[in-house]
Amino acid sequence: MAIAREAEPVGSLQEVREAGLDHEDLLGVYRNMLITRAIEERGHILYKQGKIPGSFYTGRGNEAASVGIATAMGADDVGTPLHRDMGVHVTRGVEPWRIFAQYMGRADGPTKGKDGNVHMADSKLGLLAMVSHLPAMLPVAVGCALAFRIREERRVAVGWFGEGASARGDTHEAMNLAGVRKLPVVFVCDNNQWAYSTPTYLEYATEHVADRAEAYGFEGVVVDGNDVLAVYREARRAIEKAREGGGPTLIECLTLRMEGHAVHDDAFYVPKDMFERWAANDPIERFRSWLREHANLSDEQEDEISAGVKKLLNDALQRAEESPMPDASSVLDGVFATPEDLDTPHHK
Amino acid sequence: MATTASIDVVMPQMGVSVSEGTITKWLKQEGEPVAADESLLEISTDKVDTEVPSPGSGVVQQILVQEGETVEVGTKLAVIAPEGAAPAEEAPAAPSEPATPEAAPQPEPEPEAAAPPEPEPQAAAPPPEPEATAPSEPEPGAAQAPAPAPAPAAADGDGAGERTFVSPVVARIASEHGVDVDQVSGTGRGGRVTKKDILAFVESGGAPPEPAPVPPQPEAAAPAAPQAPPEPAPAPPPPAAPEPAPAPPAPAPTATPVQPQPAMTAAQPEPGESFEPVNAMRRGIAEHMRRSLDTSAHVTSAIEVDMSNVVSIRKKLKGEYQASYGVNPTYLAFVARATVDALRDYPWINGELRGDQIVTRNYVNLGFAVELADGKGLIVPVVRNAEGLNLLGMARAIAEIAARARDKKLLPDDVQGGTFTITNPGGYGTFHGTPVISQPQAAILGTYAVVKRPWVIEDDRGEDVIAIRPIMNLTLTYDHRLVDGALAGRFLRDLRERLETWGEDNY
Amino acid sequence: MPEKTYLQAISDGLRQEMRRDKRVFVIGEDVGVYGGAFKVTLGFQEEFGPWRVIDAPLSETAIVGGCTGAAIMGMRPVAEMQFADFISCAWDHLVTVAAKQRWRAGTPVPITVRLPSGGGFSGGPFHSQNPESSFAHIPGLKVICPATPEDAKGLLATAIQDPNPCLYFEHKHLYRRLKAEVPDERYELPFGRARLHREGEDVSVITWGAMVHTAGEAAQQLEGEGISVEILDLRTLIPWDKQAVLDSVSKTSKVVVLHEDTLTGGFGGEIAATIAEEAFEDLDAPLKRIAAPDTPVPFSPPLEKAFIPQVEDVVAGIREVAEY
Repeated sequence: MAIAREAEPVGSLQEVREAGLDHEDLLGVYRNMLITRAIEERGHILYKQGKIPGSFYTGRGNEAASVGIATAMGADDVGTPLHRDMGVHVTRGVEPWRIFAQYMGRADGPTKGKDGNVHMADSKLGLLAMVSHLPAMLPVAVGCALAFRIREERRVAVGWFGEGASARGDTHEAMNLAGVRKLPVVFVCDNNQWAYSTPTYLEYATEHVADRAEAYGFEGVVVDGNDVLAVYREARRAIEKAREGGGPTLIECLTLRMEGHAVHDDAFYVPKDMFERWAANDPIERFRSWLREHANLSDEQEDEISAGVKKLLNDALQRAEESPMPDASSVLDGVFATPEDLDTPHHK
Repeated sequence: MATTASIDVVMPQMGVSVSEGTITKWLKQEGEPVAADESLLEISTDKVDTEVPSPGSGVVQQILVQEGETVEVGTKLAVIAPEGAAPAEEAPAAPSEPATPEAAPQPEPEPEAAAPPEPEPQAAAPPPEPEATAPSEPEPGAAQAPAPAPAPAAADGDGAGERTFVSPVVARIASEHGVDVDQVSGTGRGGRVTKKDILAFVESGGAPPEPAPVPPQPEAAAPAAPQAPPEPAPAPPPPAAPEPAPAPPAPAPTATPVQPQPAMTAAQPEPGESFEPVNAMRRGIAEHMRRSLDTSAHVTSAIEVDMSNVVSIRKKLKGEYQASYGVNPTYLAFVARATVDALRDYPWINGELRGDQIVTRNYVNLGFAVELADGKGLIVPVVRNAEGLNLLGMARAIAEIAARARDKKLLPDDVQGGTFTITNPGGYGTFHGTPVISQPQAAILGTYAVVKRPWVIEDDRGEDVIAIRPIMNLTLTYDHRLVDGALAGRFLRDLRERLETWGEDNY
Repeated sequence: MPEKTYLQAISDGLRQEMRRDKRVFVIGEDVGVYGGAFKVTLGFQEEFGPWRVIDAPLSETAIVGGCTGAAIMGMRPVAEMQFADFISCAWDHLVTVAAKQRWRAGTPVPITVRLPSGGGFSGGPFHSQNPESSFAHIPGLKVICPATPEDAKGLLATAIQDPNPCLYFEHKHLYRRLKAEVPDERYELPFGRARLHREGEDVSVITWGAMVHTAGEAAQQLEGEGISVEILDLRTLIPWDKQAVLDSVSKTSKVVVLHEDTLTGGFGGEIAATIAEEAFEDLDAPLKRIAAPDTPVPFSPPLEKAFIPQVEDVVAGIREVAEY
């Protein structure tokens, strides 16, 4: 029995305008989704070419959820996106060439080669770098919200997790503290139905992950994670509510991880028809059709956007490949921070 | 029941960090009866104010600490006399002990806590060091070898004049000042010369006994004291040296039933001959090769592979891999990568015949036959879990393990557990061979020189033409007990297919 | 200078820091209304309000993880673990997130975690531990173990202002037992600078925390026997004052390393190894470690006494080395 509210799909342009998006914004969302997918597709190839060391993870299928949430965030808001949330980095303005540099372990990646794949973030853009212990970032997001609350700033923190991460104690402790203190934080569950090979019914026993929100004293919403506009609308509501002192919200974006856990996983355990069903509901294709139907997206516009994305990524890749490998001696750098390091946007 | 002995009331410890408490009020006065657990007094501490229940029944005989006074935890506050003196309520008094564990830091006999002065090991000093006493004449280096010094026990025979351990600092000072430590009389345990002794000696200008302080043998002073001479390093690198350790590519030592040298036991070289002893590695190889041929039914199949695709992709990747990763994507790496993929479809070829069972695996531990630098041996280091490596990873792993093999830095684990082996004699231009299977595996792949050859292909119009193509021969030598010829053929065909259709996006 | 207990010095130091720096806040279990399990923050909530003295749910993970987030947002959080033992519940956040964030993502995490540690009062296996060596092993964390009221106050101020995650081990046994002069004004004491607790000629004792005082009593006794003991209080383990240790070793040539933590893998092993590597030619006797045996901390008084190094143990150990 579901407890969480199940969000309606978004229909008309009028409704979207009311949610705060004009025509340019809509094209921007579309463009960010395309860039997100293109970066990961390119990364996939780079990995298979042996240019990316280690493992490689993508968020194919999660473009609507990640771009939709990030679009709803304010410039001063912060977040802790995970490895399926490339769309958040793209929407917040991380330049694709730095993402490629990060993938390839180059000196110009945000972590300068010290960490790999999506373990990165640009703190100037309000993002905090994830760790592999995925739910660990939720208490950190709650801590950001705590700082905002102490200083009485009108800022919101967004913490991401997956339905797999929902099983760990960190998730509970973070939500409980946030609920008790009514902190300005929005929890986003990327429910892509598979935690590596583990299906949802082996991760949690409620109907939805969002059903838990009620137990922590705040609202839970389940939204179609392939409907970028519905995701945006629910995120915006939750973020503005948090900003106004209304406390946390748990948004569960339901989608499907369209590839294996990582490139080395062929996802044989996912039923084929499940992939087929969700592929027919591809978030980018779906939004493109909507734009054509409701927002006059023309062939020329579409071509222009695609060409722009293609050029952006070609240039990005070239620039990333020109970036040197890190100097071996840099492994010793920065184990401890110095007082000068505190001179970042957040540490004032 | 009734209390029989007098009971002390002590200041309780109200929390782990509390060290003292103040009496705020006595609820019973001297001479008044009190039941066990009945409130007796009120105290105040840094953490809490509370009532203290009486630890037993009886009469308050004596109050030792007055209201307003502050005392340490465990201080005796009052004494309760057993019942009898007063009417007495027969409360179910706890036999004797107060609730608080009587934390008094008092003398307390506690034999076992006091006895062992140090927490742990050496219960009693071991018997005195024997070896230092044996030779009467110095012969320094050797005599003072036993460095770790399990304490030259105090009861050290009759002490005088015996050599004892020279500590590092004493050795250093002796060396700096050219002092013969034997000339210094020691005050340390067992007559050992301490730092103070030698400093005093130096300060006094060197004590008389010997007029010339003999600027003696440097070793006596050298701080290198603790290194005894003929000590084989504990974990030396493997082969080449007469070291049995991990050298041979073989597992099971199999006693020595097969003695491969029949007649040549202890003869002298004939004229024109010279002898060279068989080292451990060569013996291991000999044993293993013979045993493999005695065990498996060796059959070899070969196939020709058009390497055009691989050659062109390699050309593209080479510069980049070398610049970015310092790794050369060799043909061997391509073949190895494709082999691992192909093995997935042929588990028996990656398998083993073990007794009545056929063993298959969901992993590939890929062995590579590597010639040692001196050309006098062969070793088969293993790249573990090769199924998890992309092309870059494979190239790097091969380079790494080959380098370690040549530098003799392989660990025992590096040469064990292989499930399939590749040998690559093609470097010298050979185009065919029948290698011997590394036991207990089921097969071994041979890779040979890439040679430009005239090759018949179909042109765009479907007509046969002759082109120049880089061709490589591959052989699969397999154990026919487990692998049939057709299976081997299909494996080679698939492997060829993978190499010939290698796409740019493959990895 | 007024005399203050070790606990009062910590409390004063924290209060002073909160008065001068608005970014500093305190979060922990029962730190607000109750004033903390040991009353370090008694009266703080009245002065600083409920959003700077935050009563947290029973959630060590959320407390330390939350401090990490708040620190990255520019605050200077001070988390209180009710007992150092409970830090195991927040291990992941210190080790996985806070310790590595600066190195890999360039984001400093200036948090201080206060850890009431140590035994000697029948706290048993879960209220008495000294887990400092576990954290000393993690690159990116700093480890502070004050032994005196004056150090407790000065090192706390330094920890709060340091741009890194700092684990501040305050020894419970010293809280109210130890009283000494403490300056009224605010001051910082540098990390990585050992304190010569007692000067001597014959044997150096390298130690920290409550064992400084155990060593002091032992030294007093041995003075009567003509053995002159030098005591070096490291004050901080990460960073630690290697030079001071080497200097003392070169002076006395005989060393005892003493700690209340268990022997195997204790930080004393690191000190011993460093001396062996860098001061071998200064040694005139085998180095001796005195530490708790490799068991959990026992509850019953005679067992606990057998566990924690006692003055007699230290006297015997020093004597053994001196007589060598």
